[in-house]
Amino acid sequence: MLNIEQIQEILPQRYPFLMIDRVTELEPGKKAVAVKNVSFNEQFFSGHFPGRPVMPGALIIEAMAQASIVLFYSGKSGLSGKNMSYYLGAVKMRFLQPVSPGDQLIIKVEPLKMLSNIGIVSAEARVGDKVVARGEISLSARENG
Amino acid sequence: MEDLENEIRNLIAEIIEKEPREVTPDARFFEDLGVDSMMALEILAAMEKKYRIHIPEEKLTQLTTLRQTVAVAREFLDKKGQDA
Repeated sequence: MLNIEQIQEILPQRYPFLMIDRVTELEPGKKAVAVKNVSFNEQFFSGHFPGRPVMPGALIIEAMAQASIVLFYSGKSGLSGKNMSYYLGAVKMRFLQPVSPGDQLIIKVEPLKMLSNIGIVSAEARVGDKVVARGEISLSARENG
Repeated sequence: MEDLENEIRNLIAEIIEKEPREVTPDARFFEDLGVDSMMALEILAAMEKKYRIHIPEEKLTQLTTLRQTVAVAREFLDKKGQDA
C-alpha cells in the first residue's frame, strides 16, 4: 500500500491534477489498485455540470493513467523516475455509469504489454461493485531533456 | 495465406489510422507510414489478442513492414499449431 506521500514520490502530478489518493494493492509489474475519493469540492464539478455534477470521463482516464505509472514504476521498467514526462498514446475506453460526488473510485490496472519506455494496460474503474469505466490505455515515458 | 495478410493489413490500418490500401507489403512502417514505437507495440498486442498467440517483446523490432509482420505472426501461429 502507498499513501499520498509515497505516491507523490512516484508521480510528478500535483494539485489540482493528482487523481489518485492511495494505492491499496500493488503487485509489482502485475497489478495496481488505486483509490480516488470524489468530493463535491473538486473544482471541475462547478462547471461539469452546473446543478448536475458528473466526473468527466477524461479525468477517470487520467486517474487510470496515474495508477499505470505507479504500476510501471513498481515493475522497474524505465517508465518512471524523477525527471520523466509521461504521454498517453491511445485510449480505448467505455464509460458505463456516471460518477458523482461522494463516490469512491477503485481503479485497477494490469499490464498487457510492458517495455522499458512504453506500455499498454488494461484498466477498470469501479464504484462499489459497479464497473463505471473499462478499457485499454497506451502510454510512454521520456526523460526530460 | 492471403487471408492472414489481409487481416493483418486491416488490423494495422485501423491502429495507425490509414487506409488499408496504403499498407502495402513493403511500405516501411516508420519512414513511410508514420508508425511510432507505441503503435508498433499496439500492433503486436492486437495480433496476440486476435490470434491468441504470445509474441515476445524482442520481436517488436522486426515489425517494420506488413510483410515482416505477417512473417512474425505466421511464425508464432505455426508454433501454436505444433503445441496444440
